[in-house]
Amino acid sequence: MTAAFAAEAASRVRGGVVHLRVGDSAGGAGVVWPGGVVVTNAHVAIERRIIVRLPDGSVVEGETIWRDPERDLAAVAAPGLAALPPVEPGDAGRVRPGSLVFAIGHPWGIQDAVSVGVFHGVGPIPAGIGVPEPIRRQAWVQAAVRLAPGNSGGPIADADGRVIGVSAMIVAGLALAVPAGEVESLWRGARP
Amino acid sequence: MSAPSGSLASLSEQLADAVARAAESVVAVHARPRLPSSGVHWRDGVVVTTEATVKRLDGITVTLPDGARIDATLIGRDPGTDLALLRIPTGHLPVARSGDPGTLRPGHLVLALARLGDDGPRVALGTVSATGGPWRCWKGGEIDRRLQSDVTLYPGFGGGPLVDVDGRVHGVNSGGLSRPFATTVTAATVDRVAGELLERGYVARGWLGIAMHPVRFDPGARERLGLSRDAGLVVLSVEPDAPAGRAGVLVGDVVFAIDGQPVESPEQVVDLLGGGAVGRVLALDLVRGGARTRADVTVGERPRRAG
Repeated sequence: MTAAFAAEAASRVRGGVVHLRVGDSAGGAGVVWPGGVVVTNAHVAIERRIIVRLPDGSVVEGETIWRDPERDLAAVAAPGLAALPPVEPGDAGRVRPGSLVFAIGHPWGIQDAVSVGVFHGVGPIPAGIGVPEPIRRQAWVQAAVRLAPGNSGGPIADADGRVIGVSAMIVAGLALAVPAGEVESLWRGARP
Repeated sequence: MSAPSGSLASLSEQLADAVARAAESVVAVHARPRLPSSGVHWRDGVVVTTEATVKRLDGITVTLPDGARIDATLIGRDPGTDLALLRIPTGHLPVARSGDPGTLRPGHLVLALARLGDDGPRVALGTVSATGGPWRCWKGGEIDRRLQSDVTLYPGFGGGPLVDVDGRVHGVNSGGLSRPFATTVTAATVDRVAGELLERGYVARGWLGIAMHPVRFDPGARERLGLSRDAGLVVLSVEPDAPAGRAGVLVGDVVFAIDGQPVESPEQVVDLLGGGAVGRVLALDLVRGGARTRADVTVGERPRRAG
């Protein structure tokens, strides 16, 4: 293990993470998906017009072009996205419990903060934790990695920097993310 | 300084290997409503979990790593160390591979494992925060080593093992004893408590049957009595038909040494009553009516509360 730890893998993903804001809200994060669109949570992209802060610090106006509130996903188009390096989606099903994962987002407004943790699994949330049944039964990337408000819509990536999920919720302290495979298929199905 | 490509990935692989190895002996324990807790297959046919998460005495089941759910019976419980023991049929699972908690130092990476159902194991990663020698936890049990870490014990993680990066189990994580840091009941204590629970179904604790409070001798009395220190413990009450009373200890006696060692706090006396003290004879040096005397007390077994 080196002193740089997750820095290298995180810097690879960071170039594909944006900050999204609506009005005066603290906002959330978004992931530059292959195809030049930002994927985020529906609960972040709550309006059609949305302010996008790109990784180089420039601020542009984006437009919410797709929302799936049931799966808490949305897509945002904005100028300049095509020039950004998209993230590499990964398959959460291939990640083993205990593998390192990291999240990138803007918890409490802190830009591009990295938190490191370990992967649990992908699937329904265990019963008894107090999540409404329809949400519990969906497939979630579950990881012991610290998230806070502002991480929503940001990536959870494996040790190789592949994005395996889009952070959506914190339940009983656990990070829950929509699996990258579902993001890909839902967005592909919705794409105009 | 840049990381060689893949070093993070190889660390990640090592952690996942450690989890895969240790998780073979981690079960889900269904002994309370709603969320299960975790358990470690400590000896063949014996699962250790946390006492506080065992809310029923019958109808306990465990989920094995292969997803099978089988019946378990409660062998015994020790609230003092927050451990409980369950029996399952032998030959189902590998026994947890124990590590030596003495090799863990603050800063070492550790994993907390859990199992919550028929899906895969659950894991949290952290570092060892504090280590040390024997201590008494707030629930009263003696633990042979201090082992605290900053891993997050998520709901259901109580009773699961603390595992090092090689997959060795250093003890059982207790949610109840953890605050603010995750506290692990270390392997030697789990062994000791498991042995006692298997033998008699509970952990015997030593008992004198007296209540005491610290006092100080004035310099004149200390000199006259030839005491090396000015501190002692005054006996406030003596329980009827208890070891101290049978040895002749009276209310008002001031105990200043036990087995030749000065005592000045009740906690020191409690420390003398743990781990196998029952049946031992303690020599109490006392001051009674302005003169030194001695009482030899045979440590009894503390009566257990009903239930």
